Amino acid sequence: MSLARTEPGPPLEALTHRLAETPGDFLAAPRIGNAGTVDVAAVVSDLLHALGGERLHEVDAAPFVPGDPRRATLQLVAGWLLHDPWFRQAGRFAEPARSLLASGLDRLLGVIAPADFISDPDRREELVRLVLKALGLRPEGESETQAADRLTTLDSVERLRVMRDTRLAQERIRKVQEAMEKKAAEEAAAAYGRE
Amino acid sequence: MTASPHLTDDERFPLIPESSRGLLARLREHEAAPRYNMACGDRLTGEGLRRVRAFEESLVRPVWNEGEVPAWVREFAATALLQVPIYRKRGGRADAFEALPTSTRADIAREPWSFVPDDQPLDDLIVYYTAGASGTPMNVLAHPEAAAKRLPLFRAALRERGVSLDGGLDRVSIAFVCSQRTTLTYASLSSVLGGAGHVKVNLNPGEWRHPDDRARFLDDCAPEIYTGDPLSFADLAALPQTTRPRALISSALALLPALRARLEARFACPVIDLYSLCESGPIGVSHGEGFRVLPSDLFVEVLDGDGTSVAPGKRGEVTLTGGRNPFLPLLRYRTGDWARLEHRADGVYLLDLEGRAPVVFRAVDGRAINNIDVTTVLRPFALARFAVHQQGDSSLRVRLNSGDDIAPVAAALRSIFGTDQAIAFESFEPGEWKVVPYATP
Repeated sequence: MSLARTEPGPPLEALTHRLAETPGDFLAAPRIGNAGTVDVAAVVSDLLHALGGERLHEVDAAPFVPGDPRRATLQLVAGWLLHDPWFRQAGRFAEPARSLLASGLDRLLGVIAPADFISDPDRREELVRLVLKALGLRPEGESETQAADRLTTLDSVERLRVMRDTRLAQERIRKVQEAMEKKAAEEAAAAYGRE
Repeated sequence: MTASPHLTDDERFPLIPESSRGLLARLREHEAAPRYNMACGDRLTGEGLRRVRAFEESLVRPVWNEGEVPAWVREFAATALLQVPIYRKRGGRADAFEALPTSTRADIAREPWSFVPDDQPLDDLIVYYTAGASGTPMNVLAHPEAAAKRLPLFRAALRERGVSLDGGLDRVSIAFVCSQRTTLTYASLSSVLGGAGHVKVNLNPGEWRHPDDRARFLDDCAPEIYTGDPLSFADLAALPQTTRPRALISSALALLPALRARLEARFACPVIDLYSLCESGPIGVSHGEGFRVLPSDLFVEVLDGDGTSVAPGKRGEVTLTGGRNPFLPLLRYRTGDWARLEHRADGVYLLDLEGRAPVVFRAVDGRAINNIDVTTVLRPFALARFAVHQQGDSSLRVRLNSGDDIAPVAAALRSIFGTDQAIAFESFEPGEWKVVPYATP
């Protein structure tokens, strides 16, 4: 497996700390139709501008008009993270940030509750690493391999897949064991010679 | 007879209608029949029989070059790595076959279920229990078709000596003789052999109503061939039956040349030594001084302790990939047996085959003596089995069958260990069967 090249980015701890301090507003209900308070598309638009890019045009806003509140909250939490001064000062991350927020986090939906990316230290670190990777960065002081290994360890989707596979494997083992028990008591097929 | 409560004869013989089971009734009810302790069938379906026939037609003598891993082996490995839990867990790549982890008897004993592919239906599972010479008993999961596919391999082995196994209704094709304190015994029929009869009997007189019944019953059966091991054949040779089989197939224990010659003279037929394991079925058939690999769906390596192929001409552990048991696909399975591999134009040979790892004895003057050298000096004797164990004080404890001539064996052993070698002879305990032939402290 080849590793995508990354550049040194900000210190990991600074970003996980920022996530832990996510203002409560970002967890407030996103505006869906007439309900909710937070306008996700407006927040993303401001963010892209702050990152040195253009504001969202109406035609690009579709991914940020919420239908799923969990998805919208995850976009808002990740948006807060991307608003960190380190990214803003670099002035070159608007496009990968837009791409990440538009669809890059969707695989986490249904696996992790958005609030866990604030309250759970491992999930905080996972989101930070996912965001850094999407921007072509790795935490300050880490090698490419260290960063990739750590992200693999934290990967929630992969962890769930392994858990599901393990559960299926355990189920299969139980079925074979049951069949063995039943069949061992039963006669086998004739044997034709000594082994 | 204790019939299993689980199956009916219709289930035991799906392809042999009741009207064609007359022989079965006669074998079960024969006045000289042994006291069978089990009922057993081939459980072969029409589709199964078709696959056994296809297997028979596909059999060719396997040949591959030294250092070569045939394409089918890599494909087999790729599938196994994907679908078999134990191999998947251990990892590796089919295109780096020589680096794949090996598996052992202990793995099967510990977790037989891990060898069952994810997509293998469990309906036709059968379970064999095997004790093993080195004391690791285990359950081997198998399939009726895998059991039946031994017959085409028997036929291939017999054909090498110009013998056919024809089968047919109202004829007994195979008498499988054992000589043990106790073992499963039954009369059965084989669809692969056209409904022919097949009996498994124990020559232990205690299993018969009268000891003379053994020869009477076997004479009445007049089987096409006998299968068994050197020990049971030595006992069979001592019975007065007069019918002549077409061949004897010996397996499971080393057959010394002198006993083979004695059996060939007694039965006036070829005696074929088959190297066969419960885990794999037949592997090799005796040919000249070695065993030629028999099935074309088995790939054989000889490996060192690290899983690397040993240098040409060196002995290593016989390791198998492939086979035809859907519940036990073998991927670099270490058999516990040791041999040299030789690639010849007419096949792949296992030479100097011995069960278990090499054992190094010490001569009186301190020289190292390989167990192969001990086998060599014992070859002239018609020993059905033997055990040579060196004790902590360097003396030898030698166990033979009661009645074996001790003096020439002692002289042969002293010819390599030294004239002053201390040797204590003992007889095997009744009921002992597979024994560890060689051991040192």
